[in-house]
Amino acid sequence: MKKLMTIALALALTIGLFLPAMAQEAPLKVAAIETAYGAEIWQEVAAGFTAKTGIKVELVTDKNLEDVITSQMKAGDYPDVVMLATGRKAALTETLIKENLLEDLTDVLSMKVLGEEVLVKDKIAGGFTESSLTNPYGDGKTYLAPMFYSPCGLFYNAGLFAEKGWELPATWDDMWALGDKAKAEGIALFAYPTAGYFDAFFYALLFEVGGPEFFEKATRYAEGIWDTPEAQQAFDIVGKLATYTEASVPSNANNDNYLKNQQLILDNKALFMPNGTWVVGEMADAPRADGFQWGFMALPAVTEGGDRYSYTWFEQLWVPAEAQNKEAAKQFVSYVYSDEAASIFFEKGGAVQPIVGLAETLEGDNKMFFSIYDTGAKAALGNFAATEPVEGVNFADTVFGTVNSLVSGDKTRDQWVEAIKVDSDKLREALK
Amino acid sequence: MDRHKGRGWFIFWCSAPAFLLFIIFMVIPTFNIFRMSLYKWGGFSARRTFIGLGNFRTLFEDMKFLQAFQNTVLLIVVVSVITITLALGYAAILSRIKFKGQNFFRIVFYIPNILSIVIISAVFSAVYDSHNGLLNGILALFKGEGAQPVYWLGNQNIIIYSLAGAMIWQAIGYYMVMYMASMAAIPESLYESAGLEGAGKLTQFFQITLPLIWNNLRTTLTFFIISSINMSFMFVKVMTDGGPDGSTEVFLSYMYKQAYTNSTYGYGMAIGVVIFIFSFALSGIVNLVTRRETLEV
Repeated sequence: MKKLMTIALALALTIGLFLPAMAQEAPLKVAAIETAYGAEIWQEVAAGFTAKTGIKVELVTDKNLEDVITSQMKAGDYPDVVMLATGRKAALTETLIKENLLEDLTDVLSMKVLGEEVLVKDKIAGGFTESSLTNPYGDGKTYLAPMFYSPCGLFYNAGLFAEKGWELPATWDDMWALGDKAKAEGIALFAYPTAGYFDAFFYALLFEVGGPEFFEKATRYAEGIWDTPEAQQAFDIVGKLATYTEASVPSNANNDNYLKNQQLILDNKALFMPNGTWVVGEMADAPRADGFQWGFMALPAVTEGGDRYSYTWFEQLWVPAEAQNKEAAKQFVSYVYSDEAASIFFEKGGAVQPIVGLAETLEGDNKMFFSIYDTGAKAALGNFAATEPVEGVNFADTVFGTVNSLVSGDKTRDQWVEAIKVDSDKLREALK
Repeated sequence: MDRHKGRGWFIFWCSAPAFLLFIIFMVIPTFNIFRMSLYKWGGFSARRTFIGLGNFRTLFEDMKFLQAFQNTVLLIVVVSVITITLALGYAAILSRIKFKGQNFFRIVFYIPNILSIVIISAVFSAVYDSHNGLLNGILALFKGEGAQPVYWLGNQNIIIYSLAGAMIWQAIGYYMVMYMASMAAIPESLYESAGLEGAGKLTQFFQITLPLIWNNLRTTLTFFIISSINMSFMFVKVMTDGGPDGSTEVFLSYMYKQAYTNSTYGYGMAIGVVIFIFSFALSGIVNLVTRRETLEV
């Protein structure tokens, strides 16, 4: 009898141990990259979501998020929502795109924003859910939700221009003339942090030389596209720019030393660098020349009066196809576009989302940066289309990475173009 | 008979755990690498296509891989030859010649070996810096102010040697200590009698020291091959990340990029297989070529 009692008690205790776990709803697993905007924004947004829905959020933030979640994902333990942009070195998001492992979020667009009466698609600013960055397969379906954005363009020291009485170049011809003038004073025309920063630059340039239609064809590797006069013009500009680049730039153009290249602008050793608005925060503590003041402009036009473009770089939020808690995940995606979440993102971290009307409320440096599209520049959006993985072909390295060799003179412009054509042909066959 | 059998079981049970771990953590993964190199696979999804030796065919037409191959071989040769020469020289001096501060130098030479690669890379990034670097500073003394600096980490003809420099600096101490250990085992009497016969220090080194530590030297050659392949990855990862424009890509950094960032996991594994076979074959050849009759004292 006593034995029976013991067994019964032990059983009761064991069941009791598992009961709370069974009764509770599965928590929503959110993984977000910690960038210059900080991790606090995510903690508060997660708390806001829990307050609205009662669903607990299990949050992971890390500066190298890929290192944390990749192995978990390979073991089958997927987060429900992931905030991780394309274009990062580890290319985890690209890998999942190539492997068809993202959940279709098109239906979220016609959901109501959590806690509001507005549809998600009416809150997201125009154009953002139509580019290849959100619709990677070009089939009209949205797989990635657009998050924090930043206009990219050329950054310079406005103080230096005022001091020397130089005018900002409006066309590339003006740019070269300015380059010669600056050279006489021992200042290089151009510097870049790493060759990877040429992505935003090159995309905007493709828009300038040929317009949106040409960009679409080029980024989908259309046959013969790189032999067109438009493409050749873009190659000429980059090739010529390489000769105007500060000679030490390739030495430091890697993840550990790129700040030295950015420092060239602060020290008045180079005039322009391609970058995004985050550079202001990144270089906040760096020493600088007297009278330094950040200036920001779109790329110069290719012809007098031609269109000038500024690339819009934005991060993406997505739901893995293997996520366990998809319903809650989609609710969460709708919640990040609420006024409540947007104000947390902006006020705690300075992150700006592509939400209708948000840019008008900005002040200071941010106002100057984000108003670039109101002052004549057009927005360039998109990237090279996703393909099936192709062994040994990394198109970003071929197109952007080679710029280092153009500057150091190890490769000629024609060798560069030839390599682009070869890889482009391979990728066209693998296009999704 | 029974006792003998008992001993057999004892040995079996003692070695079983280690053997099991070896199978699980070495043999099975290696086998898997070979197997996965035959697939086209991105690394995540269940979509795997068997393509036979397709990955290897692509590999031998991939110029970037050939460049990585070239760089690795160059590093193995340059780093091994220079490190062996310097380490042997320092070891001979420190163990054969008596002078003040001997222990101090032993420690100084060994320190780079206990520093983390990240620190060494940071130190050398500073030394090689084009504007404020130590090397360019010294060169400026001879070339005069305002002369063009040398771009140690930007000039694609130099950069691989800049990497080799850092690797040699890191490795010398370790091998020096190994050579010193076997030099200490050579009896003093040999040198004494050689001295009486009129052999100079250099003759003593080539006729006595070198032949007697030959076996040790051979072992370190294998170490050199393996560690050059491994170490170069770490240095490249921190100092240049394969750049500028792939000019410092080595075996493992290229494998890593293909397997993880280019979503071609199977292709990355094919590179792994080539590295595996290459390092085995090279070690085997080096071992064969350097085989001599063992001299014992």
